[in-house]
Amino acid sequence: MSGLPEVRLHVGDAVVARVAAHHARRVPGVVALRADLTQALLGLADSVLHPDRDRGALPADGVHAEVRGGSAEVTVTLVTRLGFTCRDVAQAVQREVAAEVGAYTGLDVLVRVVVAEVLLDR
Amino acid sequence: MALTPDPDGRLACGRDAAAVWDRAVAGEPADAHERGCPHCTAAAADARGLGALVQRLAQEDPEPPPSVLDRVMVAVRTELRPHDVLTLPSPHGPARLSRAAAAAVLRHTVDAMAGVRARSCRIEQADDTRSGDPGHAVDVRITVTARFGVDLASVTARVRQMVAAAGEQALGVPVRRVDIEVVDVFGDHW
Repeated sequence: MSGLPEVRLHVGDAVVARVAAHHARRVPGVVALRADLTQALLGLADSVLHPDRDRGALPADGVHAEVRGGSAEVTVTLVTRLGFTCRDVAQAVQREVAAEVGAYTGLDVLVRVVVAEVLLDR
Repeated sequence: MALTPDPDGRLACGRDAAAVWDRAVAGEPADAHERGCPHCTAAAADARGLGALVQRLAQEDPEPPPSVLDRVMVAVRTELRPHDVLTLPSPHGPARLSRAAAAAVLRHTVDAMAGVRARSCRIEQADDTRSGDPGHAVDVRITVTARFGVDLASVTARVRQMVAAAGEQALGVPVRRVDIEVVDVFGDHW
């Protein structure tokens, strides 16, 4: 046995969600991430109850993450726009988010993508 | 020295806290004792502090941020149930597309064509009957109105072409079948 203590690292859901949101938003064709009802209501409550709280936190709206053991499941709900192929945007988000979150946290990442809306040019 | 508060609500100086409070709320000037007594001064300050706080809150007109309804409604619409989504082909994991969003895209592209306007659009994703796996090809039923005088057969052919192309290019799902129903005609001037 070496002199170094044994260390176990657990990465939390919120870490995965925020990192995933950060990278998903940067994929070409992703206009926005779309918060679900729970996130929207919590965000509203927070903005009413703590309007002046300085929040350096990265927004995770639109991303749900769950870490189980050495793997994580991430669901990204996004909005794209006409001119991009929904299938290609979805695949690009899956690829990018899985790679980036995997590299950052060391977890095996499965990414589900839901394209919730396609903005149409008017 | 007793640390338990006096049950009668008396301050340490012997005055009744409620009386000091009431006088402060009523705006009466402090008497000679109250001016010099730290307990009475504190009680009076409490009363005025509460009054100011309550008054300020009462005068505030709490307006929800303008976007509250929007944000909630957008979130409600985003709550998609399994039936509300189409499956997109992806080797990287489950990918879904809102059925309503897909229909809006197809309606929009048909609307952009000359001589025809889209009304309703239904998209069904058929399971692959042979393998039992969910396939990705979709069947589209679209109802349109055509400009009066435009040849219906050619409208139909153009709509079919447009829907198939839009399905492949904008959505990324192959279109297996297009049912077009012309439900009405329109004209610029009758």
